[in-house]
Amino acid sequence: MTNYNIIGKRGIWLWISGILFVVFGLALILWRFKFGIDFTGGSLLEVKFAKERPGVSEVQTALADDKSVGNLGSLIVQPVGNQDMIIRFQESSEEKHLAVVNSLTKLAQSKTKDNTVEELRFDSVGPSIGQELKQKSVNAIFFVLLAILFYISYAFRKVSKPIASWKYGMAALIALFHDAIITMGVFSVLGKFYGMEINTTFVAAILTVIGYSVHDTIVVFDRIRENLPKSHLDFEGTVNMSLNQTLVRSINTSLTVLLTLVAITVFGGASIRAFALALTIGIAIGTYSSIFVASPMLVVWEKWRQKKAH
Amino acid sequence: MPNIFQSMFLSGGRAKVWRIFSLVILLLIVGLLIVGGGYYNRGADWIASKTGQAVKLPTVKETPFRLGLDLLGGTQLIYQADVSAVPGKDQPSAVEGVRDVIERRVNVFGVAEPNVQTNLSAGKYYVMVELAGIKDTAQAIKMIGETPLLEFKEQNTEKRQLTAEEKKGMDAFNKSASKKAEEVLGKVLSNGDFAALANQYSDDPANVDSSGNKKGGELGWISEQDNPELFKLAQKVPVGKTSTELSKTSIGYQLIKNEEKRTKTDPFNNQPQMEVKASHLLICYKDVSGCESGLDKEAAKAKIEQLKSKANKDNFAQLVKENSTEPGARDRAGDLGWFGRGKMVKVFEDAAFSQKVGTIEGPIESEFGYHLIYKQAERKIDEYRIRNILIKTQSESDIVGDQSDWKNTELTGKYMKRASVEFDPNDNSPTVALEFDQQGGELFAAITKRNVGKRVAIFLDGLSISEPTVNEEITGGKAVISGKFDIKEAKLLSQRLNAGALPVPITLVNQQSVGATLGQQSVNASFRAGLIGFALVALFMILFYRFPGVLAVGALAIYSVLVLAIFKLWPVTVTLSGIAGFIMSIGMAVDANVLIFARLKEELAFGKPFGAALEEAFRRAWPSIRDSNASTLITCFILIQFSTSVVKGFAITLAIGVLVSMFTAIFITRNFLKLIPESWLEKRPWLVGVNKH
Repeated sequence: MTNYNIIGKRGIWLWISGILFVVFGLALILWRFKFGIDFTGGSLLEVKFAKERPGVSEVQTALADDKSVGNLGSLIVQPVGNQDMIIRFQESSEEKHLAVVNSLTKLAQSKTKDNTVEELRFDSVGPSIGQELKQKSVNAIFFVLLAILFYISYAFRKVSKPIASWKYGMAALIALFHDAIITMGVFSVLGKFYGMEINTTFVAAILTVIGYSVHDTIVVFDRIRENLPKSHLDFEGTVNMSLNQTLVRSINTSLTVLLTLVAITVFGGASIRAFALALTIGIAIGTYSSIFVASPMLVVWEKWRQKKAH
Repeated sequence: MPNIFQSMFLSGGRAKVWRIFSLVILLLIVGLLIVGGGYYNRGADWIASKTGQAVKLPTVKETPFRLGLDLLGGTQLIYQADVSAVPGKDQPSAVEGVRDVIERRVNVFGVAEPNVQTNLSAGKYYVMVELAGIKDTAQAIKMIGETPLLEFKEQNTEKRQLTAEEKKGMDAFNKSASKKAEEVLGKVLSNGDFAALANQYSDDPANVDSSGNKKGGELGWISEQDNPELFKLAQKVPVGKTSTELSKTSIGYQLIKNEEKRTKTDPFNNQPQMEVKASHLLICYKDVSGCESGLDKEAAKAKIEQLKSKANKDNFAQLVKENSTEPGARDRAGDLGWFGRGKMVKVFEDAAFSQKVGTIEGPIESEFGYHLIYKQAERKIDEYRIRNILIKTQSESDIVGDQSDWKNTELTGKYMKRASVEFDPNDNSPTVALEFDQQGGELFAAITKRNVGKRVAIFLDGLSISEPTVNEEITGGKAVISGKFDIKEAKLLSQRLNAGALPVPITLVNQQSVGATLGQQSVNASFRAGLIGFALVALFMILFYRFPGVLAVGALAIYSVLVLAIFKLWPVTVTLSGIAGFIMSIGMAVDANVLIFARLKEELAFGKPFGAALEEAFRRAWPSIRDSNASTLITCFILIQFSTSVVKGFAITLAIGVLVSMFTAIFITRNFLKLIPESWLEKRPWLVGVNKH
């Protein structure tokens, strides 16, 4: 069996992770997210033009000039596919919705006579709901973290030597923080430069990434847990051996999960594309961190403890 | 070598494996029939038509997936109910009232399976309305958002009267009915067979059962509640005897035979059902609506404790008259008369039924305040088993049909301020008090003035809920609906009226609608993504793990069938994110197999024989499968607890997927592997990807 000295080069991996973490963490602090209407309140209207689709600026001027529409707050018009168009505005009342659809129909028919506008989707969210969703999401994340820390500490209660079982939990938590922050940071960058919005499903994606990251880390830790009592190597060597033993499995599993996720991202339709993309990025990073962050952290921790003892 | 069937019934390890294998196949077939029932039925039809109905396969029940609105097309509306004007403890019932009203309106709209739910979240009340397949969202919003319709109507005086001729016809009919009834009575009295006479003469539609056979006048057990008119008649006729004189009820002449008398029993525990006669003393406190005692909760409690220490059988009525805050207590001394189970609020009823006759118990806290209860008597509820012969008579409505008795007035719920439960000062029965605004008060005064001595009706959403008689002109903008209802009904009515007057305004805070086209597109895209994802995973597994990979793909296929069958049976509402959860779970389901196979390879590389390596691989893979899936499950359950519909759907499908995948990996893959003869595999190590040294 091949034997890579992963732990020996832990400095390199931890530096890479550290830099990624800081860069995307900064992006997150600087740019935050581009929140979708789930969080900010507002309306999203997706329509399909049967014949010719008017241009973005045409739609913008038509809606701005139409007196029956009035003020929509901010207005974003975005063509999708060949015939569809997504229109976002801040106002969330039913009257505005109808007025916009009427205005679009008029515009469509001024271009081609028997053109029609089919309404594919309309979402509108009041601002208070958005606030509440944010709060709920934060609560959910907090409880997931807490529950996972408890579970790992419990699952690893029998291997308190040489390092305490709660440290496995902490190392797993650090790895998942790393995964979550980098994934969120990527979306912050995507939001800044490509206008990608996040909505409630993004929260689900982040939570799933957290769950998966831990899932993956536990498999590696489990091998360490199994090897520790019978290993002739020191702690560092045992961890490295365990990593090598699980390396193929970790990569294979992640590869299969990523295969299905890529399938969703590419073929799954527009509405869950961002969701699947978040999962894809998060799980790729989660796989990396379970090998190159979580386990090296255990060794670093142990070395530090030894040093302190002397 | 024994064949499969022989193997199955032999004892020993391999026989067990074959039995489990056949169990798995059975499970798969059941799963396939649930998931693809429609395809199977069409196939069965096709075979039947090709073979000239010679081969007829049994058909199965087709269960559809329950699709979410994002896939089906439809509208979801979320309203926030503003309960700030309602005292804390009435808020849930006020919101329930809103829900009821919305549900009735949605039903009028004719939506297939509408879904109306209330939801308390972060201290705010929401009402969520889901309308599948509704295109005209604007119309739906308009109908739901309208103030529920409370109308006051007066008697329609332009009703068609019977013509002289019709009147003559009716009289003649009733005369001959009377003659016929006399004749039948004669036959009954001359000891004729009552059942045979009933079959010959009775006009009662209840005498014919669903398949058209006559029942000999048998009506079964009747209590006073079921049919007061017949119950009164039965009381006059001794058990085993028949009526000796003609009795007329609202629908015609009735002759009855009293077959048996019994005490009504509870069908669940066979205990006799009881009625209680009691009176009570009520001390309400500030939080109770309409309470004018001015006491806060502690003071009310202290007061009633103090009253209880003084109270005895002889002075109870006097204490009630002097102290009870119930309206009308002075006149009726808190007397509630006879009541059975289900007529009073539950806490009160439970207390009254459990205490001893002649005792005074309390204080009992209900939503009306603190009660002291004096239980005066208790009795069993009687029931009679009777047969009847009905000779029908005609009334006006039989001839001219149902004419609308009512015509509209200008007064509607728009003018109402609030409704509350009060007690009638005369007979202490619960009533519902209405309070109008200035203009409503004037309209009400005008209506009562021109209808003195006549009835007016109160309609809620087109249904008459009360038809009181006006005794005098009522000024001051207050009306009372009194009538045949108990506390529970009165509460419900006031709640509905309050919803009608909307003391709880609702605002649309969230609206999502998806057109049918987009829904269909999403279904197709997800279906494609699922298939492609599955194919990629299968390809990867087979390329990398070779033979075990093939088995794992088989297990994965069974896994998918089982999960989809669970989606249908439970049923899980399948949304777009739910499908994503399912597809993702395919990837995670593979993980368990990968863990096992990676171990298997290792064990084989150590040179262990296949069978032992297999056992060891499963044993050692199990802790990581368990712990890693547990963390995903924890995440899922927290998501289910804390999230809204979209995320919830994802978490539910992922959790189901993870649970089933643990079963398939451990149970199904393992058995597939065990089925393969070891010697066969050991000769072909490349099949498991091991190069033995």
